[in-house]
Amino acid sequence: MQIPVVDLENIAVTFRRRLIGGDAVHALRGVSLSIAPGETLGLVGESGSGKTTLGRVCLGLLRPSSGTVRFDGQAFGRLRQRRGQLSVVLQHPEWALNPRLRCGVSVAEPLKTLGAPVTQRREAVARMLDQVGLSPEFADRYPGQLSGGQRQRVAIARALITEPRFILFDEAVSALDVSVQAQVLNLISDLQARLGFAALFISHDMAATRYVCHRIAVMLKGEVVESAPAETFYGTPEHPYSRALMDALA
Amino acid sequence: MTALADIRDLVMSYRTGHGGLRALDGADLRLDTGETVAVVGESGSGKTTLGMAIGRLLPEEAECESGTLSVAGTDVLRSDPERLRALRRDKLGFVFQNPMTALDPTMRVGKQVARAIGGRPSGDDVAALLLRAELSDPARVIRAYPHELSGGMAQRVVIAMAIARQPALLIADEPTASLDASIREKIMATLNRLRDETGATLVVLSHDLRLIARHSDRVAVMYGGRVVEAGKVETVLDAPAHPYTAALLAAAAGSERPGQRLSPIPGTPPSLSGRCEACAFAPRCALAQQRCHDERPEPREIAGRRVICHFAEAALAAAGRARRA
Repeated sequence: MQIPVVDLENIAVTFRRRLIGGDAVHALRGVSLSIAPGETLGLVGESGSGKTTLGRVCLGLLRPSSGTVRFDGQAFGRLRQRRGQLSVVLQHPEWALNPRLRCGVSVAEPLKTLGAPVTQRREAVARMLDQVGLSPEFADRYPGQLSGGQRQRVAIARALITEPRFILFDEAVSALDVSVQAQVLNLISDLQARLGFAALFISHDMAATRYVCHRIAVMLKGEVVESAPAETFYGTPEHPYSRALMDALA
Repeated sequence: MTALADIRDLVMSYRTGHGGLRALDGADLRLDTGETVAVVGESGSGKTTLGMAIGRLLPEEAECESGTLSVAGTDVLRSDPERLRALRRDKLGFVFQNPMTALDPTMRVGKQVARAIGGRPSGDDVAALLLRAELSDPARVIRAYPHELSGGMAQRVVIAMAIARQPALLIADEPTASLDASIREKIMATLNRLRDETGATLVVLSHDLRLIARHSDRVAVMYGGRVVEAGKVETVLDAPAHPYTAALLAAAAGSERPGQRLSPIPGTPPSLSGRCEACAFAPRCALAQQRCHDERPEPREIAGRRVICHFAEAALAAAGRARRA
């Protein structure tokens, strides 16, 4: 059996309203899940169910109150150690791209942080833009000159340029038009088949999630109530809440 | 049924730094009393321009080049400000995409709703209105500021304000786009319930064909500033006669079988600078022939709907084949 890229065991996250005392909010309660290389795990649930908190734990941006996070079979360690191994694509590409930088510079930035020389960066940017289906001249354009779908492609190129082991897609297609959504979803599946990264796909859209994911975990009030292969969600899932989510599709 | 609003061959352009941008290129739409009409299209198809033109809520750069738009007997585009005010006040209600920008962040919700009602309404009037929009705890909502509400609750407040004066025509621009999937259904159900109660006409602008279709009587698909296909929801969605409608349906996730690949629409929507003398969808259309690039298609009636396509019969047949397969 392969070593999972991300392995969460019994994760709990509790936020406190005030430093001492105050109400405790249990954002996550005892969540365990693992994502294998080349696998996409979908995470669905309503707002406030803890999807984004779980994503932040996977990225190491949030230390869980209890439980262990393992990355590639080892303790997560410090964030600095994981440079270039983790990446994220956000809902709005505007959040990921600096409007004053040409797209090529934005895409190359993660490599620059890793200390790659200029020539190697330029080559990698051209290759990456090609992979996401954009011509090399997009490197010279500003994000404001692109359509929403093209901008999200640039954001994906930036996320993939360091060849990370794990990528988090946080509502990555929710802001896009239906016709562009299909393009980006296909792109995500194709790139994964080619590059073999592990991915966590957070969304409240069951239709998009089951299309792009191998397995789906349904979250409700900080707990994973059902975790099953995506095919299950084309039929009848077990948990009543999953079925309620499915009803929205019919 | 009587026509509440009638839009004929409407052409609207936005003046920009480098020439005009044509948002509507001869749009036709008729709205009857008491029906729900979904206006569907990608960003840039002109659906928001059409919706906002009904209340003349467009920015100053927008210019009507030709065509007519009448709502309840008022010629909206050529009325003086006083008549327009009366129309907006008594006949129209608007629900915008993002409730957080539609509400004033510095004013308590109760006061904003009271202003929408007009006059000097009592606290009970405000509470009753909020209850009609299915807000369960009106006392708390009245005291709250918009940022203290969830997105779904804020959208219900906006809906309450839109129906405050019993409008004859309720226009909702992407009412569910900023909300969770689980809340979307409930908001659409609320809108339709209110429509039934008041006998108003509801127009929903959206890019999500499937969600909207479940809650509508008629659908109007927009592309390149024209209504390319309009008809009863079942008729249009069961067998689309315009290739664009078929492509939109094929691109949406939700009806595919496991392992089946979605087929996105190639290319990008057009941005027009003048009258389009061809079919605007031709460059992206799988069925396009030379005639589509040379001749502007005119609306015609086919199989129970109005469609703008030279080869609607062929598209209809292709849709039938795809469904049987």
